[in-house]
Amino acid sequence: MDPAFFTAKNISAGYGKQTVLEDVSFSLEPGTITGLLGANGSGKSTLLKAVCRLLPARGTCLLKGQPLDTLPRRRLAKEISYIPQRSGVILSLPLLEVVLMGFNPGLGLLQRPSRTQRDAARQALAAVGLTGMEDTDYLTLSEGQKQLCILARTLVEDTSLLLLDEPDSALDFHNRCHSLQILQGLIRNQEKAALVSVHDPLLALDFCQQLLLLKEGRCMALLHPAYDSLNDMQEAFSQIYGPVSLIRCPDRSGRERLVLLSEHGTAFPC
Amino acid sequence: MPRTDFPSRRSSRREKVLLAAALLLTISLGVLSLMVGKYPLTPALLLAGDEQALRVFVTLRVPRTCMALLGGLGLGIAGGVFQTVFHNPLASPDIIGVSSGASAGAAFGILFLSPGLSPGGLFGLPGGLAHILSSGAVSVTLSAFLGGLLAVLLTLALGALAPGKSSASIVLAGIAVHSLAQTLLMGLKLLADPERELASVEYWLMGSLNGVSLHRLPATLFIGLGCAGGIFLLYRQLLLLSLEESESRMLGVHVGRVRLLILLLATLLTACAISNTGLISFVGLLAPHTARLLTGTGRPSTLLLGGFAGSILLLGADLLARSVSSGELPVSIFTSLLGAPFLIYLLVKSAHTPYR
Repeated sequence: MDPAFFTAKNISAGYGKQTVLEDVSFSLEPGTITGLLGANGSGKSTLLKAVCRLLPARGTCLLKGQPLDTLPRRRLAKEISYIPQRSGVILSLPLLEVVLMGFNPGLGLLQRPSRTQRDAARQALAAVGLTGMEDTDYLTLSEGQKQLCILARTLVEDTSLLLLDEPDSALDFHNRCHSLQILQGLIRNQEKAALVSVHDPLLALDFCQQLLLLKEGRCMALLHPAYDSLNDMQEAFSQIYGPVSLIRCPDRSGRERLVLLSEHGTAFPC
Repeated sequence: MPRTDFPSRRSSRREKVLLAAALLLTISLGVLSLMVGKYPLTPALLLAGDEQALRVFVTLRVPRTCMALLGGLGLGIAGGVFQTVFHNPLASPDIIGVSSGASAGAAFGILFLSPGLSPGGLFGLPGGLAHILSSGAVSVTLSAFLGGLLAVLLTLALGALAPGKSSASIVLAGIAVHSLAQTLLMGLKLLADPERELASVEYWLMGSLNGVSLHRLPATLFIGLGCAGGIFLLYRQLLLLSLEESESRMLGVHVGRVRLLILLLATLLTACAISNTGLISFVGLLAPHTARLLTGTGRPSTLLLGGFAGSILLLGADLLARSVSSGELPVSIFTSLLGAPFLIYLLVKSAHTPYR
């Protein structure tokens, strides 16, 4: 495992004169998903935008040893894909066209996607559960289906670093797990890593190898659910969400899972 | 998960049918435009080799019809481009100042260039070319074209000065340039001779295809069709520009450069049309919406259909402008009169929404 696959050092960013993020440092290992957790306004989206240079930021980001601020825009797009909270598709477009946009970093200005790329786009749509909907109008989809379509576009982008800003916010329980399973399948055993902003800590505990907890623009804790102690994690979560209990319990197959309970005794978030 | 299949084949067939119908209607109106006017022409008269009929046909009707076709096509396509690039369903070619710049340019041409030029004094140009350039209409056309182009370059330069260089800053810069051009136009109107020049300026501002002549056609066709071809070649990039700017950038689009290139092509196309016809209201706004309401997609065929809708509207308006009264009426009266009710009808009846 190469610890220096991606490193962010002392990242500070904001909007105008208002600083939202201060001195955040972390690293990502290849083949892993890192969950970005924190309350609303804690700086999750700002961090994602700062990493991919959509916002001016201080600090350094190194991807495979290469400083990101030296990469030209096109090269950056070949290395990093970014899913915003809501995609800005405003025209009625078939899903296939939306997914094919993912090939743009590798295409010339006037070049059109090849037949192979069209087939790959169809397969990506099938992988996210939108089989046979290539010609469906994007604007007629539910918000959840739109997120799945944008996930399919991310699959064809085939980049080293994936930055996803709440890719599950409009998905139902089944599709939320399904989309993270797809992401897990894409990342695992590959020279890729993902930084995913999520609101649901249970989902993050289940699917992420590392958790970055943000509070008021600062990094509160960097957790590793596989080997950090329950007490340490519980304390870190309590600083973000208020008093919570983190417990281990077996699921139906006997596999031990982590469950976060709020002080009212219900699974978090209630 | 519920499937919301869009019947692709039916939709694609519908687009083809709509394009074929629009093409047929454009051709029919084009043929009618060649024949209708103060001097009525018939195919029999032309085939019989009637000299006067042939002269009217070649020197008046062909240029006028071609300009209506190209002008409408250009304004329709450019309107679609502006609406897509600025994510704004109300955007039209004037949003970045092209029409107001062209108006100020035309007024400048009418006041200062038309009467003063003599064929011999034009930088030693060959006699024929000097004669063409010395005619008032051509200098007004050139002046309007340069005015439109200058206004847009100023808008884009001002937009680039704003931090972030977003499409919103270009729109705001366009509003500022539009106001400046309007002020300049008002100043020029004050200077104009009320009997002769002021009337010419006002007539230009209302649009007419009356003054279009044959010798201006080749350059206009060359620039206009070249720009339209360029826009269709860049259509994939145009779709990427329709996304949020951050999303386009992360998909590898050089947003600033590509937007500048596409806007310049659309501006040239618009300037090419209105410098010849005068201001034509409503076509650039209405034609793309009509196409989108009819097809319900953002495919290239919708942009082309918007172009055909523009041609149909301008041809129809021009036919009415020269037929309803003994004198020639401004064409903009009829583009609005024909277009507005049709757009309202489509808006009420259509199953598609033009924009999210």
